[in-house]
Amino acid sequence: MKYFFYQMKKHPLSIVGISVLLLWILIAIFGPQLTSFTHTAMDAEHQMTAPGEFGHLFGTDSMGRDIMSRIIYGSRSILTVALMTSIFSTIIGILLGFTAGYFSGKIDAAFLRTMDILMAIPPLVLSMVVLGILGDSSILSLTLIVSIAFIPATARVSRGVLLTEKSQEYVSAARIRGESHFYIMFIEILPNTTGPIIVEATARFAYSIMMVASLGFLGVGLQPPTPDWGMMVIENKPIIAQAPWAVLFPALAIASLVIAISIFSDFVSKVLIHER
Amino acid sequence: MNRTLSIILRRTVSLLITLTVMSLIIFLLVEIMPGDVAQMILGQSATEEAVSALREARGLNDPVMERYFRWVGGVLTGDLGESIYMKGVTINSILWRRVGHSLVLALSAFILFVPLSIILGVLAGVKENKPTDSIISFLGLATMALPEFVSGVFLITIFGVQLNWFPIVSIIPIGESLFNNLEILFLPALSITFVMFGYVSRMQRSSMIQVMNSDYIRAAILKGMNRKYVIFRHALKNALLPTITIIGMNMGWLFGGLVVVETLFGFPGMGSLLMTAIKTRDVPLIEACVLLITVIFSLSTMITDVLYSYLNPRVRFQGGQR
Repeated sequence: MKYFFYQMKKHPLSIVGISVLLLWILIAIFGPQLTSFTHTAMDAEHQMTAPGEFGHLFGTDSMGRDIMSRIIYGSRSILTVALMTSIFSTIIGILLGFTAGYFSGKIDAAFLRTMDILMAIPPLVLSMVVLGILGDSSILSLTLIVSIAFIPATARVSRGVLLTEKSQEYVSAARIRGESHFYIMFIEILPNTTGPIIVEATARFAYSIMMVASLGFLGVGLQPPTPDWGMMVIENKPIIAQAPWAVLFPALAIASLVIAISIFSDFVSKVLIHER
Repeated sequence: MNRTLSIILRRTVSLLITLTVMSLIIFLLVEIMPGDVAQMILGQSATEEAVSALREARGLNDPVMERYFRWVGGVLTGDLGESIYMKGVTINSILWRRVGHSLVLALSAFILFVPLSIILGVLAGVKENKPTDSIISFLGLATMALPEFVSGVFLITIFGVQLNWFPIVSIIPIGESLFNNLEILFLPALSITFVMFGYVSRMQRSSMIQVMNSDYIRAAILKGMNRKYVIFRHALKNALLPTITIIGMNMGWLFGGLVVVETLFGFPGMGSLLMTAIKTRDVPLIEACVLLITVIFSLSTMITDVLYSYLNPRVRFQGGQR
């Protein structure tokens, strides 16, 4: 932990990134207390209000809904889905990648073939088609589909990490002791691979945010009335000339969150990989 | 050359398997899709008899597998079927024009981002840890993190709304071709460039740093050779290899990016066509689009592999470490 703070001092940019990320998490938790408007209330008298007027700090959209409260509520869903997606796809990735790499041979070959097939479709296209066909996305279906689209990537990383550890002496020692495969994989090897896996998981978090925002933008993400940052951008694009704030604030929200997470994951990889 | 041939062969076989599995999955997925195709064609006001008559006429009551093989047979003979939403229009007549547009867009993005990110990546790598490097690296990190539609919206606000230099929607007037309206390409291509720039320039930077620290480059510089000559003739040649791989690996993002960018600008390409197909639940059109994206995507991965093995003598002669 001390080492972590020492590294933070050495990389001033990481402090900015981590603070912005923490700020968004706080906003998501305490969101509703921060605004005097609700995210769904339409106000026919104050449509496309400029930022700062009538108490609307970020202005309103074409239906008179308060942009700021919609962004605050939107932060909850996007953070929840992205966090669950990165955790879920990492865990499944470890299970699949470790099994394939550990047993090698036919299991490994079958694993690689399957991943090749999944990877033949770009992840975004895959999830938008599946979500579009199924319709009415919920937090659960969104998490599940995006995780599946990410599994080839996470599983391959886990498999690679396992392969580098597999030839170590402690693994042979455990095998000679007669430990079970499960024990060797998850009690012996896993703790030694946390570094690269955590790096991959934080990078995955950034990708998840991008992906969820893009899916929302394409209209196959969370359905109204749940406010979604990506959807706010495409909804308000027709009025970009008259009310640019209705588009720019949600876009800035996405930008600040993703850049913050990227800086954070960049920092984590510097700390965890380079200390070896 | 043998190696190249074997890559092409292996990739083609795996592409065929992939396509078979993919088409099956899509077909089954569409099966469980809520809503009745026949009802959709005729509209909500159609009578019960009319709907069931159409189901019979289109063979919708046949078993799934029978319909699947009929569809595959059609695809193999070049018949992709008819669109449901645009009644009576064959998919062949709309799809190929759209694919052409998308390829032009992807190509323009390529022309923008490949030289730009290689040059800036090399510059950052040579000036490691100097201010130039910090600026370029931060730019790379920031642009890489932005989804295409976010950078696109910023570009629209600056170049479209404030400066009014470029159109904010990419619509081709009816009866005109894309080549008479090249200005609509600029903002979409630039939005794609942003994302790709981050990945490619970062890769170029780190591989440049690695090569610059290698013994043969240090020897060349120490014996007094022209520094520029060493950088461009000796170092760049070797530092380009990982960059080519990363460009190939990011083709997936590029394709996803095309869908997003085309939707944002209303650009008449394959991505926006797929989006419309999904929104209107136009099953044959969805299937055709996804199939085609898979083929193009796999082909581009194959080309990257071949190019890589061709450029890297170690892989070409020894069979490499794959």
